[in-house]
Amino acid sequence: MKKVVSIVLALALLLAAMSFALAEELPTITIMFHGSNVTDDTAVLEAVNAYIADKVGAKLEVVWGTWGDFDDKATNALLSGDTGIDMVFTCSWSADEYNTYAKNGYFVKLDDLIAEYGADLVAAIPESLMQAATIEGAEGMGIYAVNGFKDTATQNTWDVNVTLLNELGYTLDDFKAMSFYDFGELFQKAKALKGDSFYPFLVEPMVLERMVTGSIIVAGDSGSTNLLSLYLNQDDVSAEGPEGNVILNKFATDEYRKFVDKMHEYYEAGYVDPSLAVAETSNDTRTNTQKTGEYLIGTQSYAFGYEYSADVLDRGIEVAFVPCTDPYVDTTASQGAMVAISTASEHPVESFKFLALLNSDPTLMTMLNYGLEGIHYNLNADGLVEFTDERANYSPWTNGMGNVTILPDTAAEGAGFRESFKAYYAGAKAIPALGYVFDNAEVANEMAALGTVAAQYALALDAGALDPETTLPDFLAALDAAGMQTYLDAANAQLAAYLG
Amino acid sequence: MKVRPMRRWSWKDFWLLTMVLPGAIWLLLIRYLPMLGVVIAFKDYKAQKPNTFWNNLMKSKWVGLKNFAFLKSPATVTMIRNTLLYNGVWIVLVLVLAVTLAVMMSELKNRFAAKAYQTMMFFPYFLSWVVASYFVLAFLDPTSGMIPSIQKSLGLKPTQFYMTTTWWPLILTISNLWKNVGYSSVLYLAAITGIDTTLYEAAAVDGATKWQQVWHVTLPGIRPMIVILLIMSVGKIFNADFGLFYNVPQNSGPLYPVTQVIDTYVYNTYANTHNLGMSAAAGLLQSVVGCICIVITNGVVRKIDAESSLF
Amino acid sequence: MNKPQRQQVVLNSFGPGAQALFHTVLGLFALACIVPFLFVIIISFTSEDSIRQIGYSFMPLSWSTQAYRYVFQLGDALWRSYFNSFLITAVGTVLSVAICILYSYPLYRKDFRYRGFFNFLSFFTMIFGGGLVPTFVVCKTLLGLSDNYAALIVPLLFSPFNVIVMRTFFQTTVPRELIEASTIDGAGEYRTLLQIVLPVVKPGIATIALLNALAFWNEWFLSLLYITKNMDVIPLQYLLMRMQRNADFLAKNSAMLGADAAQAARNLPSQSLKMALVVFIVVPIACAYPFFQRYVVAGLTVGSVKG
Repeated sequence: MKKVVSIVLALALLLAAMSFALAEELPTITIMFHGSNVTDDTAVLEAVNAYIADKVGAKLEVVWGTWGDFDDKATNALLSGDTGIDMVFTCSWSADEYNTYAKNGYFVKLDDLIAEYGADLVAAIPESLMQAATIEGAEGMGIYAVNGFKDTATQNTWDVNVTLLNELGYTLDDFKAMSFYDFGELFQKAKALKGDSFYPFLVEPMVLERMVTGSIIVAGDSGSTNLLSLYLNQDDVSAEGPEGNVILNKFATDEYRKFVDKMHEYYEAGYVDPSLAVAETSNDTRTNTQKTGEYLIGTQSYAFGYEYSADVLDRGIEVAFVPCTDPYVDTTASQGAMVAISTASEHPVESFKFLALLNSDPTLMTMLNYGLEGIHYNLNADGLVEFTDERANYSPWTNGMGNVTILPDTAAEGAGFRESFKAYYAGAKAIPALGYVFDNAEVANEMAALGTVAAQYALALDAGALDPETTLPDFLAALDAAGMQTYLDAANAQLAAYLG
Repeated sequence: MKVRPMRRWSWKDFWLLTMVLPGAIWLLLIRYLPMLGVVIAFKDYKAQKPNTFWNNLMKSKWVGLKNFAFLKSPATVTMIRNTLLYNGVWIVLVLVLAVTLAVMMSELKNRFAAKAYQTMMFFPYFLSWVVASYFVLAFLDPTSGMIPSIQKSLGLKPTQFYMTTTWWPLILTISNLWKNVGYSSVLYLAAITGIDTTLYEAAAVDGATKWQQVWHVTLPGIRPMIVILLIMSVGKIFNADFGLFYNVPQNSGPLYPVTQVIDTYVYNTYANTHNLGMSAAAGLLQSVVGCICIVITNGVVRKIDAESSLF
Repeated sequence: MNKPQRQQVVLNSFGPGAQALFHTVLGLFALACIVPFLFVIIISFTSEDSIRQIGYSFMPLSWSTQAYRYVFQLGDALWRSYFNSFLITAVGTVLSVAICILYSYPLYRKDFRYRGFFNFLSFFTMIFGGGLVPTFVVCKTLLGLSDNYAALIVPLLFSPFNVIVMRTFFQTTVPRELIEASTIDGAGEYRTLLQIVLPVVKPGIATIALLNALAFWNEWFLSLLYITKNMDVIPLQYLLMRMQRNADFLAKNSAMLGADAAQAARNLPSQSLKMALVVFIVVPIACAYPFFQRYVVAGLTVGSVKG
């Protein structure tokens, strides 16, 4: 009898020890974010882990991808089936491109998990974003990533130096009445006033091209230089464009010719900084000049509230963003920032629970995104967030994390900002081809060849540095030789099938 | 690989074997094991169930030579031409210049100056192409570079260096020579100082002028060195120095006709498509061609001068 | 090992005209070789205003130590990575030199039974490789090279090129009779190597030590591959490359990222800061180089010539 008791006792002890060990040893889940600037996350992760232990049943680790390294790190982790990465940022423009990687089996299909654990998530994220994430993946039609709720519509704007505009004797309303083709007189006067080394037209050449010709990025097109385009109906973005729902070779249109002719004229007149036409110096030049306010008109791909960011406030000039069109929801914008679960993950359930919580729970999102109250930020008298100097050591990329609409308002943005933000994007209309993604697998070789050709000409032409008279015909001939028609036909056949 | 027994096995072999062991283990693990991955070049690599690398590797579909189809692009001719032409010309130029400078240095009477020159010439070897590209940019930048600024102050139209192909073969050549000639000439100089001095004395006794001594004693004396470096560079004739062709021209599109080489093409293509199979195929191709080049060069060298050949 | 001093035995030399020409040519070329570095130093001390107004120039409008102040603000991260660079270089160089000597010495021994096999084993990897992703998988999952110093050292420990250099070194500088004499004395293989052979090949060791030290010092790609969470182990070179890559990425993707890219670009270092970091990277190796140089020149000659 004694023996039995002791065995039972021993067993009980063992069981207790085991369950204790189980309770202690929460599984670790790791998430890889894009574009952050984080040097010290210990305090934040400690708080986050204390908070999620019961709710998620796991311990979180974070890999803070920087802008430059994320693509390599994420693709290496996914391609090598790394079990150490459970969740990874993905979207329509990163190297681990959402549609391709979902189709090739790297992302877990989430539909069942959403049905079981995702009630809060579904409530927190607009239906349209769930729609945008629903694609044909390795496991059939479904959702393969949690779509972040951020600026979900595209809107390109003129970035106007109002201070200088007024000095030249124009008002903002005068400017709004002008089009790209009328800017010449403004530039001429600015140049006369500010001297020869002043370049009034500070553009992102590729964005400018979209603004002037009304072209829309086709998701799944060649990455660094787009070749394909749908066209926007500039008066009503939800209506069919002037060409109908057809994808065109964007460089072969009359509109494009007209645009590059004018741009070349501006360039030759010295209105455009020549550095903007060179791939590696273009962006550096633009951001550096923008900082100093030494321009008259720029281009800016806009997000609601950008005018309140330090980036704009520090320029020392009055800036106005004049939109070209209403914001429009296209595939690229609606798949702009997502987080997927890797099929190599050993803890997909815990990972999903975490993502669901992150996107629906303001406490967790605030902790992980803004840091800790009293360390990284303080709340001012109005209850608004004011960042401290510590924030410099902990600045994740806000929009890359998920649902930013549940974050508290910051003092710079002002009270009620998130509400206006949500309202602004809730009002955005979708383009007719929303959700269409070009599957380029069959024409991958053509795309590679075309990408090289486009990289040779497009940026320099868009910036006005090349004479379209001589180079555009060469460009178009080179595109044809590289298989443009095959590429275009494949895209259009798929689009027709998609639209039904 | 079986080695046929030649001598009786001895403890000596055992001890020598323990010496190569660390290196051999390293090679097997870090170089040979991953070589299984070359099959990616012939597969449509995708995640399988379960998603582990080796499983993906085994179960992905074979696609034959489909990943090599990128070679059908019209850019192929340009990039292969550029790679071969630049490398070919540079092999010769670096050789001639480095040997000339080395001979000059060896003939300097002022030893301190020779040492100083030598130290300085080795220096570019320490700087990466990213850094070197800033230097080129400082001269050529269309907005604030030194040359366009001077042109502007003289009332001339500034040259659009990053838009016109004309100057780039020259600029790339100068950049490459700047970086590599010093390093090579230090190697050749070292070889020259190793030449048996009695040879010079004998030549002088025979009444040879200094020029004749250089021609008949110095150059033959450094031939083995020339040959080794030559074989090495010919083996890499299909591999371009990526940083030189990517960073120095600032990846400027209009310059592609003269700056696009195999390595930058593969890089740009990968950045566009993220196709693992395609880049594996390109890497395999470069390896195979490099292999063939080395074997051929080595064979030619062995025909002419068996002593100098690499293997 | 002392070579006869050549200038003592040269019977005739080029005349003063030729000497002057040589000095001019060599002097100009040597100057061209270090001017870029001086230029980098000047840029690192140039004020941002000056860069904005007249671009890079040998004679900036105004000077500034702001870049260096910013570099020092990196504080712990900077010193930590500086320390790591030294640590990785030191440990890596010692280990790789040891492995290289141990591997190449038997290849020099004609009486080593498996000489041909191991020669081929090493040489083949110079021209053939498995590619990035398979190597990554082996290193990370099989060998656990992840987030530790080992990950920044092990993948670079062996270089077939250095083995060829070292092997030919043995062939040209170590007479085979030396080995035979030693074995007859009954010395073990390791004792022969350590006590008899190594003292003779010191210049060769210095040469491969320099080549290895340069490789470790300049390495940044391994950090990109294998360091994901533990940023305490990254070297200085990676700190610089990461900034460079951030700038490149934002340049390529600014159109997609829109306002986010503009905001992120604000955090990027200025050109002068990057130049300051370059100065930090180049100075130690430039200071170490003259110490190596004495041996290296002698070393490379012998090592590169097949015996």
